[in-house]
Amino acid sequence: MDYFFIIDFLQSLVDGLLFGTTYALIGIGFTLIFGVMRKLNLAYGAAALAGTYIGVAASLAFDAPPPLVFLLSALGSGVIGILVYYCCFRFTPTHYPMASLLASVGMLLFIDEVVIHASHGMPFPYPSVFRDATIELGDVWIRGDLLFVFGICVVAMAVLFWLLYRTPLGLATRAVSQQPRAAALCGIDPTRVNLLTFGIAGILGGIAGAMTAAAVGVISPIIAMGLTVKGLIAVVIGGLGSIPGAIIGGLLVGAAENVFLLLRGVTERDIYVMLLLFLFLTLRPGGLFGSSAGRD
Amino acid sequence: MLEIRDIKTTYGKIAALKGVSLDIREGGLTCLLGPNGAGKTTLIWTISGILKAQSGSMKLAGEELAGLKPHQIVEKGVVTVPENRLVFPEMTVKDNLIVGAFSRRKAKGGVEEDLESVLDRFPRLRERANQEAGTLSGGEQQMLAVGRALMARPKILLMDEPSTGLAPIIVEEIFEIIGKLRDEGRTIFLVEQNANLALDYADHFYLLEQGHVTFGGQPGEVDHDELIARAYLGARKAS
Repeated sequence: MDYFFIIDFLQSLVDGLLFGTTYALIGIGFTLIFGVMRKLNLAYGAAALAGTYIGVAASLAFDAPPPLVFLLSALGSGVIGILVYYCCFRFTPTHYPMASLLASVGMLLFIDEVVIHASHGMPFPYPSVFRDATIELGDVWIRGDLLFVFGICVVAMAVLFWLLYRTPLGLATRAVSQQPRAAALCGIDPTRVNLLTFGIAGILGGIAGAMTAAAVGVISPIIAMGLTVKGLIAVVIGGLGSIPGAIIGGLLVGAAENVFLLLRGVTERDIYVMLLLFLFLTLRPGGLFGSSAGRD
Repeated sequence: MLEIRDIKTTYGKIAALKGVSLDIREGGLTCLLGPNGAGKTTLIWTISGILKAQSGSMKLAGEELAGLKPHQIVEKGVVTVPENRLVFPEMTVKDNLIVGAFSRRKAKGGVEEDLESVLDRFPRLRERANQEAGTLSGGEQQMLAVGRALMARPKILLMDEPSTGLAPIIVEEIFEIIGKLRDEGRTIFLVEQNANLALDYADHFYLLEQGHVTFGGQPGEVDHDELIARAYLGARKAS
């Protein structure tokens, strides 16, 4: 094996791992919502996309600086996440899982269509920072913009862990996801916890959307499908319901897709990522950290 | 203290409670006996707000509880120790107890003191304070469920079948805990299959059969053997 191939391989791996943190965030979002409601919110990636477009709208409307664009993307996605909760989850019957699942599929298509309409289906430039900065580790380069993406996503995860393990809201969230009936009997209002979880998951999705767009420098509606599918694959690999699993799964998907990109080219890349999904679903359907313990 | 009047609850299409009336008196142990399927657990879930009563009233010191959500009923001071304990399995014992105090988070303070007093009451829980609750034995989980309810500073403690699935020697231990709580002057409503043991501790009791309260009184007033036969078998007449 020649030296340049090894360098290319390592380069792909590093880029993929850095970018994989965005998939990890999406995976965490899916897992958080699944944790408290035992339901899959398929509109999640679309909400993240729409939030990111809100950031773009701000940058077009009043030439907002990049940090503000990122912030508005995250918050916008949080608000849309809450809207999705009210439209698809709050009032659908809890004992009929198909209702909310299909409602969220409808919402995925609806949000996507609205975004396409509003943006005329055109890609827009998205602020990207530290584009030209690189850190050289021998012959492997670490791109500044990807390092920024990585840093923001890691900070978001750290804040989430602080919320979950150091605040009353986090305690309530963990209680509802482990034993919802007992949580209610301890004085926790599950509806409120669900609402806040959708908001927080939405913000995480918005950060992932913003960072995905920042890594590429443009945003287009097709990002929604990528976020949804890759996020779900991350969650399947990690094990639905496990936050560490979602992180590992996200990094793995990021790394795998970049390595496949190097080996097989951009047209075949996603075929192999999907094969990875089938492999996991067949051989290890519970994922790496699969534990659905805690439910009676 | 809690007046339950003509409560009707349906479970799907089945009428589980067909007009239940009873009183939970302040500072005593009121016990509800009855065979399987009589509606005992349905009554607990109705009082705690998890099931909605179709009609009837539940008044806590004159204040209507029917129609409130579970977390609101806990805030009023009616706290449930559910059947099968339902601890939070992946949380430490300590965190389980802290969740128990969630209902009074607005009135800050006192949680640390209460945590200490619960851990003093249950030394076995103190030994395992940083262990995940899912790793505890059945008896320890039952203690944890009681401790968690005490953290809410209950006015009334509702206990649903605390002896379920426990070895006889552990059941004795749990009942000693319940007896001690009663002796402290707490108000307890106990639903129990184990009629024999429950009658040893009860101040008042009711017999629930097929969704109706068919009997109520004090343990000394009746022939225990006949009562116990009915509590287990649901026979209309024991002889």
